[in-house]
Amino acid sequence: MLLIDGVIYGLQLSLLALGFTLIFGLGGVLNLAHGQLAVIGGISAAVLIGQGVTPPLASLLGILVAGVFGLLVERSLLLPTYRYKGEARVLFGLLLTLGLALVIDGYVKYRFPFEALALRVPIPAITVFSITIRTSGIIAALVASLALLSLLLFLRGTTLGKAIRCIIQNEVGAELCGIDLTKIRIIIFVLGALMAGLVGITFGLFASLRPHMGFELTIFAFVVTIVGGVRSINGTIAAGILLGVVHAFSSFYIGAYLTFIIFLATAALTIVVRPSGLLGYWT
Amino acid sequence: MIRGTSWPNYIALLIVGTVLALFPFSIWGSAYYLRLATIMLAYMSYVMAFNIIFGHTGQLFLCTGALAASSAYLSVVMTRELGVPPWVTIPLGVLCAGVIGALFSYVSVRRGLGVIFVGMVTLVFTFVFYNLILGLRGLTHGEDGLVTRSLGLGIFENRWSSYYIFLVILLLSLLFYHFLMRSRIGLAFRALRDDELTAELAGIDVTRYKVLAAFIGSVLLGIVGSLYGYYNGFINPDVFSFVRVDVVVLVMLLFGGMATLLGPILGGAVFTAVHEVVRPLGALSLLVYGVLLVVLFLTFREGLVMALRKVAKLHIP
Repeated sequence: MLLIDGVIYGLQLSLLALGFTLIFGLGGVLNLAHGQLAVIGGISAAVLIGQGVTPPLASLLGILVAGVFGLLVERSLLLPTYRYKGEARVLFGLLLTLGLALVIDGYVKYRFPFEALALRVPIPAITVFSITIRTSGIIAALVASLALLSLLLFLRGTTLGKAIRCIIQNEVGAELCGIDLTKIRIIIFVLGALMAGLVGITFGLFASLRPHMGFELTIFAFVVTIVGGVRSINGTIAAGILLGVVHAFSSFYIGAYLTFIIFLATAALTIVVRPSGLLGYWT
Repeated sequence: MIRGTSWPNYIALLIVGTVLALFPFSIWGSAYYLRLATIMLAYMSYVMAFNIIFGHTGQLFLCTGALAASSAYLSVVMTRELGVPPWVTIPLGVLCAGVIGALFSYVSVRRGLGVIFVGMVTLVFTFVFYNLILGLRGLTHGEDGLVTRSLGLGIFENRWSSYYIFLVILLLSLLFYHFLMRSRIGLAFRALRDDELTAELAGIDVTRYKVLAAFIGSVLLGIVGSLYGYYNGFINPDVFSFVRVDVVVLVMLLFGGMATLLGPILGGAVFTAVHEVVRPLGALSLLVYGVLLVVLFLTFREGLVMALRKVAKLHIP
């Protein structure tokens, strides 16, 4: 029961962190507003449902809103950052996205302070081998794994995916080979934003998503990315599921506050002990 | 610059000191504005400390609030639980902040972490610390906070004396900063900031100076943090939260000008005014801060002091 809950939760974390790590690996921008993108997706879906739109359609629209927002941000705010290289770009992007995160947080908290997305599926639970699982959890897990799988196939199988992995390895080299950096950066950022929006929706399936959760989600995405190894796609997914399970067990046995601290301490230790990620050598 | 004359700095310090010392009279000692001005002085000192850490040695400490809080909480909790007078516990709290700051710096320099990872590790520390305070409910009363008035530190009973105490601390830290930058240490900081590798090749002990900068800055944060805790009359995690301290300090420093003497003062003064203007907006003020951070960083990276230097063609420290 706890294990399944943990895996469901971990899949969401993986999805969130994958967008985070792709954006960082590709654009060199540590997107501190990543959790806020999920909040945008989830809250706009909640608002739409409040307007009388059916939940599936509202969810789809919510994801789209997050994607469109990502596109706007990439085209406007992040353009100047690409003019810098290396450390300067990272710092620049960090501060800009921090500003963006504050803007989104401030607006959402001001406009929709009590809005919360909680999607409830009619059938409450099913029982398999005397284990009770909520249907909504299964849907969340299915959606997340489907998204993860299609993303993996996209990165492994298609030419575009190969180009993306090329850039992650070496930006200048990729550009010399005739890969259009600008186009691919847009694609990745929008893809990351869409995935964040999707996570915002699926979070509403098994928990409820509230406006103030943006920073928390960003931190989770960051922790998973760090533990999985920055720029390592498989590592990120594995770390997400692992941490999800750890999260489920430790919040059941030792409480939520300590869990959060354990989470963060894991990340800090990983950075200090093995900067390439705990699971970095798997890939 | 180290060989140049000190006169511009002394004159600037004199002007700043005089203006700030006379300021309470211009508002006729109004309790509300005097409190605002006192908080402004505390924030200017925070910015000064952050300036030494980030402005001079490029260590992005996103835990200024948490370091200040660690000192304040240690002192207040010890005073409450053990009955030791604050005069004993404040130095302990300050030392604690300094050691934590130095430790972060040491680890990050030793592991060769880039600016981004220092930022993230310290940000993580901020959240861990915040949760620790909430979790240790028995000692800290969680979000309800602790009342620090009548804990035996009698100096903040009068609003005038409180203002001048913070003013003295700010001026002393400015003076200290001035002499620090003129010493060999300041020279090393400057070399570090220009190019770390070159500095190391020239025989500068990078680890030592970075840790030293972090220690000095954190100690200053600790002093201001614990005194602010007593002045404020009550502390809770919100008083030192990321949004209320770190973000504000970062914006003030960026606006005023990094690695300058007057940057923290100008940035602090301007943003206290801005804060008063946007405060009625409530939750929207966060949005305003976000927009300011973005706009400032996109268009005004050098800060007010640099801009004034260019426009007025004066040597402004």
